[in-house]
Amino acid sequence: MALTRESVKVGDEVTPLSRTVTQEQISAYAEASGDVNPIHVNEEFARMVGLPGTIAHGMLNMAILTEALSRWAGGSDRVASVRVRFSKPLLPGDTITCTGKVVEVDEAAGIATLEVGATSDRGENVLTNGRATVRLSD
Amino acid sequence: MPDESHVGRRYSAKGQQVEGDRAERFAQAIAGGDPVAEPGAVPPTYAAVYLMFPALGQIFGDAEVGLNLAGLIHGEQGFEFHRPVKAGDVVDSEAEIVSVESKRGMTFVGVDMRATGSDGEPVCSGHALLISR
Repeated sequence: MALTRESVKVGDEVTPLSRTVTQEQISAYAEASGDVNPIHVNEEFARMVGLPGTIAHGMLNMAILTEALSRWAGGSDRVASVRVRFSKPLLPGDTITCTGKVVEVDEAAGIATLEVGATSDRGENVLTNGRATVRLSD
Repeated sequence: MPDESHVGRRYSAKGQQVEGDRAERFAQAIAGGDPVAEPGAVPPTYAAVYLMFPALGQIFGDAEVGLNLAGLIHGEQGFEFHRPVKAGDVVDSEAEIVSVESKRGMTFVGVDMRATGSDGEPVCSGHALLISR
């Protein structure tokens, strides 16, 4: 169901999307995206540069957030923009939860603006200062 | 190290092809163990592949800018999706260094990027903030 100009109100919340991100998934993202930086796939290297271990790509976290927006909005073509700050790393085995809340509805333009973000089950704010816009149907 | 003299540098990565197989693997990687959200559709953040990495890769390789990759952090990322891409699309990607700022012993590099379709229409715009320590 696509969201419409009439149905979306300020304060509406995106259906939260939670996903436990495994090393297998991070490695699959590395391969598919081409971002094979060893901090994502090589435990020893990650520790050597001061990380607790391998970390998920910030772009993978952003992709899961964008999926949450797509599902809520009724399709990925509805997502007009997304921006985030990569504040804290997500570690393999962590569960990320992506959220969003409508802060403005421009009925004339058919655009809803949302504050968006993501946290981990370790209580870390993974994606912060997030903003997104979604296209609404008539 | 990047400095203000590098603001305005432009980079071009023309002819980025959206490969269906790869976009599918990308969608599966996002889904992890869950079902793919929209089978057959190219996820919006696939812009990382056809726009962001080709553009940033050129900046990383610019010896005169001299970014230290070992201490580099992807601080922020934004995308505006002007229209969806599909398998087989070819886009021209470009980037420009729009800001370089040093503070607290770190260098913040802002990069604007833009992908254009073969019809000349905008496909995706982006902004990256890179932090070099």
